[in-house]
Amino acid sequence: MSLALNGTNGVTYNDGTQQSSAPVGKNLIINGNMQIAQRGTSAAGVTADYATCDRFLIRNNNAGLYTITQDTDAPDGFGNSLKWDCTTANASPAAGDFAVLQYRAEGQDLQQLAFGTPSAKQFTVSFWVKSSETGTAVLRIGATNSGNVMQGHTYTISSANTWEKKTITFTANTSDVIPNDNLIGFNLFWYLATGTNRTSGTLPTTTWEAFLTANEAVGQTINIAASTSSYFNITGVQLEVGTTATDFEHLQYGQQLALCQRYFQSFGGSNVADTVGQGTSFSTTNTYVLIHLLQTMRSVPSLGYSAVGDWRLHYPGVIGLEATVMAIATNESNNTKVIVNTTTATNASMGGGKCIQLSADSTINARLTFSAEL
Amino acid sequence: MQYKIINDAYGNVGSIELTKEDNTKISIPLDEANTDYQEFLSWKSEGNEPEPADE
Repeated sequence: MSLALNGTNGVTYNDGTQQSSAPVGKNLIINGNMQIAQRGTSAAGVTADYATCDRFLIRNNNAGLYTITQDTDAPDGFGNSLKWDCTTANASPAAGDFAVLQYRAEGQDLQQLAFGTPSAKQFTVSFWVKSSETGTAVLRIGATNSGNVMQGHTYTISSANTWEKKTITFTANTSDVIPNDNLIGFNLFWYLATGTNRTSGTLPTTTWEAFLTANEAVGQTINIAASTSSYFNITGVQLEVGTTATDFEHLQYGQQLALCQRYFQSFGGSNVADTVGQGTSFSTTNTYVLIHLLQTMRSVPSLGYSAVGDWRLHYPGVIGLEATVMAIATNESNNTKVIVNTTTATNASMGGGKCIQLSADSTINARLTFSAEL
Repeated sequence: MQYKIINDAYGNVGSIELTKEDNTKISIPLDEANTDYQEFLSWKSEGNEPEPADE
């Protein structure tokens, strides 16, 4: 068996497979294989939100309507993809219309790219794509917090309804430092449809240039809002240092989930009376419930909740004594624990100092979510 | 979209409640690294004012 050793790209075996020179942690994209979908596997009519697959943001400004799914259609070696399935067409987007899939990378995870230094690195983004539409599409990176500069590249979807792997190398940026913090380092944008406001300029492909709307997606011809038969699937997203796209770095499910939970966590959602936390009642109407987060989150998270009536406080000492929650708010929380301030109707038997449980009603709709997304 | 101040048990501002257009609600902490709080501050800087806390 022969093999080739290369200090940049690692080991290439005689069958063409590669062992990267940095096999662990080389992929700077979290959930690039669309394996984790804590919010659910399908969402319709999303315009600006995280939906289904973790870490990937859906943004649609009047460029049709879509059902977003964590799909099981995927190239060999992958179990899932993220799918945009057009349900309302917009065959001729107006000038300001656009649909884009966005990934926000955390600044402190991008330091190895050495932006803003003489040692800045080239890096390569690779991904698998499948679409009903053929033509040219744009992948752009925008570094909002480092000089608000951008670079973009076109790629071609050659065959309809066929998985194709795309590889794009971005040039090094020696001018604009990415702050080493927990805020956005840069954004990746896959354009799926766009009007002329974003295609009338010049796409900067070899240099990092100041952001300009007219330059965002120059060359884009693909419109996945073309008809209600149009769709776009993507998976295997990898961003790595260097000019070569090595094999996708597959993490174990638990590793990937833990990485995603830095940005989003969900409690409840089963059809049993799921206890999510315990706390202390300090009056006849208010109770602070402590919930330890599953991972340290990027920031203090926002608390999302289903209907307050989905939640009950269970009190000790009296069998069956419970109160329906009337209001929920986060309070005195940090990025490792959340205190949920719950309000119930006045009931003298539920006075202060009692240890209580917060439980979901027996409905799959009962969910508490914690979001520290970028 | 509507913002409302939520006081804690001691009468201090504890969080911001956002009611979305679909009537779902989220509770936003006062953390400048939190994206929802950043959006609230941006909204407020445009001259908007949230609904005050309940008495």
